Amino acid sequence: MSDAVLVIGGGPAGLEAAKSAADLGARVILVEKREHLGGTPDEAGYAALTPNFEPAQEALERMRAGVLDRPEVTIHLGSRVVDASGEAGAFSVTLENGAGERTEVEAGAVIIATGFQHFDPGRETQMYGYYEFPDVITLVDAERMLSQHKFVRPSNGEVPRSVAFIQCVGSRDRRLGNEYCSKVCCGISSKQAIEVRKLLPDTRVYIFYIDMRMYGFWENQIYWPAQEEYNVNYVRGIVTEIVQKDGRLLMKGEDTTMGRPMEVLMDVIVLAVGMEPSQGTKEVSRTFNVPQDKYGFVHVPGEPMDAVSTEVPGVFVAGAAAGPKDLEDSVSMAGAAAAKAVALVRRQGAA
Amino acid sequence: MSDFMQRGLDKAHGVTEVEHAVVEGIDISGYWSRMLDQRMTTEFPTEGLDWITSLDGGESLRNCYQCAKCVPVCPIQQVGDYGPWKMFRKAQRGSNFLDDPDLWLCTTCANCLRVCPKEVNMVEIMPAVREQAVLEGAMPDELGEVFANLQKRGNPQGESPRKRAAWAKEAGTEVPIISELGRPVDVLLYVSDYTSYHPRGHDAARAMARVLNTLGVDWAILGREEKSDGDSARLAGEKGLFEMLAEQNIATFSKYEFDKLVVMDPHAYNAFKNFYPALGGEYNVMHYTQFLAPLIDRMEFKASVERRVTFHDPCYLGRHNGEFDAPRKLLEAIPGIELIEMPHYRANGYCCGGGGGGMWLDSLMDEHVSERLSERRVREAVDTGAATLAVCCPYEPSRFEDAVKSTGNEGALDVLDIIELLDRAMHPEA
Repeated sequence: MSDAVLVIGGGPAGLEAAKSAADLGARVILVEKREHLGGTPDEAGYAALTPNFEPAQEALERMRAGVLDRPEVTIHLGSRVVDASGEAGAFSVTLENGAGERTEVEAGAVIIATGFQHFDPGRETQMYGYYEFPDVITLVDAERMLSQHKFVRPSNGEVPRSVAFIQCVGSRDRRLGNEYCSKVCCGISSKQAIEVRKLLPDTRVYIFYIDMRMYGFWENQIYWPAQEEYNVNYVRGIVTEIVQKDGRLLMKGEDTTMGRPMEVLMDVIVLAVGMEPSQGTKEVSRTFNVPQDKYGFVHVPGEPMDAVSTEVPGVFVAGAAAGPKDLEDSVSMAGAAAAKAVALVRRQGAA
Repeated sequence: MSDFMQRGLDKAHGVTEVEHAVVEGIDISGYWSRMLDQRMTTEFPTEGLDWITSLDGGESLRNCYQCAKCVPVCPIQQVGDYGPWKMFRKAQRGSNFLDDPDLWLCTTCANCLRVCPKEVNMVEIMPAVREQAVLEGAMPDELGEVFANLQKRGNPQGESPRKRAAWAKEAGTEVPIISELGRPVDVLLYVSDYTSYHPRGHDAARAMARVLNTLGVDWAILGREEKSDGDSARLAGEKGLFEMLAEQNIATFSKYEFDKLVVMDPHAYNAFKNFYPALGGEYNVMHYTQFLAPLIDRMEFKASVERRVTFHDPCYLGRHNGEFDAPRKLLEAIPGIELIEMPHYRANGYCCGGGGGGMWLDSLMDEHVSERLSERRVREAVDTGAATLAVCCPYEPSRFEDAVKSTGNEGALDVLDIIELLDRAMHPEA
C-alpha cells in the first residue's frame, strides 16, 4: 500500500496534476526525463501561447512554482520510468537517471502525462520538401524564430515578402495513418501569422486550409483578428507540391472555392504540423500495460464523460498523451486525474 | 479551331454547359469547363483587397470568411452570376472592382448583410468603391446622365423643378404649399422624385392629398422648393452630389416650422433618418405608412375593396429600417382586402432592383441578368393568386407595371400604392 501519486511527465499536464494532487494533501512523485520542467512548450521554445499571446516561459514559470520547494512533492529530473509492477494502491516503479542509476518508488496511483511530439514532415514524401528546401519550415521552427523576435528566410537571412502557412500537415490523413485532427494547428498558425504581420508589416501572409478549425473562443480570439485586423489572407485550398523556382518556392495547389489551380511564389512556407504520441507516451503505456489506441495515444475507454481513466485501474492520463489536446484540455484533464488519483489512494488507505 | 472552341478559350473564366456539342467530329457533350480553359495560375496580390478596405466604408470586406451564406439570398444571384462572396473572392485575387461590371449590379438591398455572420457590409462597400469609380469617370453612361440631372435640376429625371408640384392641380382637393401658408404645420409632406414626376406617382400623390385632408391633418408640401433626397445617388457612388442635395434640402427645411417630416419614399426616409443628422438636419421623420397606421381608427371607409392583395416590402423601409408592420396594418384595415404573403416577405423580401442606383442602370443590368428583379418579383406575386401587388415605394409602380407587361401578366395583376387603396376605400367617388 502506498499513499503517493506518481506523475510521469513534467509538462503543463504533469505540473498541474502534481500541484493539484499536492494541494489535495497527497504525497507526489514527479518524474521528468529532461533536466528541466516545462515539457514540450519549454523544449520546443514556444514564444507566446495560443490564444492569449502570453509569453510561454512566464506561464510555465507559474506552473513550475506550483511544485517546486514543496515538502509533498519529490521531483526526479533527468529520469525515466523503466519498469513497473503491482496494482492499484500498490505500484512498484523503477526510475533510471542519465547516469544509469536506478531508484525504486512506491505509488498508489499513477498519472501518465507524457505528452506528444510534433509530426515529422519528412514523412510526407515529395510533397512539401521540408528536408530539401531550407525555407520550408514547421510551426516549431517558426516559433523558435519568433521567440527571438525575428522572422527571416532561413536560406539567406532576408526578410520574406510572402509567407504561407499550410494546414493539416500530418493530420486528417488516412494514408499517413493519422486520421485525427490535431486540434491546435489552425489556432497556432493564425497566432503566428499575427506575430509575423506585427513583426513585418510589409510581408504578405497567407493561410491555405481545408477547413479552419477554430473551435470555441479561438474563433474570435485569433481567427477573426488575424483576418480583420492583421490582414492575414485565408485561402481555402490545399497545397500538394512545392518546387524551387528562381530562388523562391513555387507552391502549387488547388483553389477549391474557385475550382481553379493556383501557383504562387513564396519566400517562407510554414507547415502546420500536427501531434503524434511522444516516444515517452508509447514506452510508459507499455511499461504499465496500458492499452493504446491505433495511433499510440493512451486509450481512454470512458470518454467522453471520463476523460482521464485508462483501462488499467489506478493508472490515469492527462494531456496530449491521450490524443491531441490544447493547453486548456491538458490542465483540465490534469485536475480531474489528480482528483481521481488522490481519491483512489485515500480509499485504499482507508480500506 | 472551331468557333465554338475559340469561344471557350476566349471565355477564360467561363464555365460552359452544353447539351450537345460536337467539336471536329468528336462528341464532347456534357458539363465541362476546364477543357477549353487554359490552365491559369493564380496569384494572390493583396493590393485590391488592401485598397478597397482602405476606403471609408470598404473596411468590412476583409471580414469575409467565405461561408457564402450571402449568395443564396442575393437577389441578383437568382438571375445572374453575381454574389457578394464572389466579390470578396475577386478582391482576394487582386481585383479592385473598378473595371468590373459587377460593381454596379448590387442594389444595396442588404439581404446579404442580414445573414452575414461577419457583418460584411456591401451597403457600405459598394458605394465606397463606386465613389472612386465615379471620381475616375469610370461609371456607366446612363448613370452619368442621372447624376447630371440631379446636379442641374434636383431630380433624376431632368424635369423642370417648377413642375415638381404640377400634380397638385388635379388632386381635386387642396394641396397647401408651406411657403404660401406662412405658418407652422404639423406635417411637412416630402413628396419625393418619382411621386412628383411619374404619372403613376401623381396618382399616389393625389390620393395622399385626399386622405390627409379627409383625416383633417394640418399639412403642406414644399412645392417647387423640394429637391431629391439624394440617397440613391449616394449609394450609386455620388456622395458629393448627395451632400450637395442634402445641404440644399436642409437649408430649405430650416426655413419652415413643422413637427413631422412625412415621406412617401423609403429611400428619402432612409436618407433623412440615418444620414441627414450627420449633416445637421435632424427631423421627426416618418414614412407615410408609419404616420397613417395609428390613424386607422379615424378613417371612415365608404367602400369595400374586394380583392386579394399581396405586399412587396421595400428594402429601404423593411430590411434597412425595420418597418414591416405599418404597411400591413393599413392594408388589413381596408374593408374587403385579403392580404396574402409572397414566399419572400418581410426581412427576406425580394428586391425590386431599383435601389442603390439600380433604378438608373436598366441597360447595364439587362446585359448581366436573365430577367429583371422586378419581373421575378411580379411572377412571385402572380403565383400567390393575388390580383393586386401593393407597394409603398414610388420606385415600384413603374418598375412592376413594366414587369407585369413583359412577363405577359397584363390583366392578371395590377400594381397599386397602399395610399391608392386607402383612397379608393375612403373616397370611392374620386
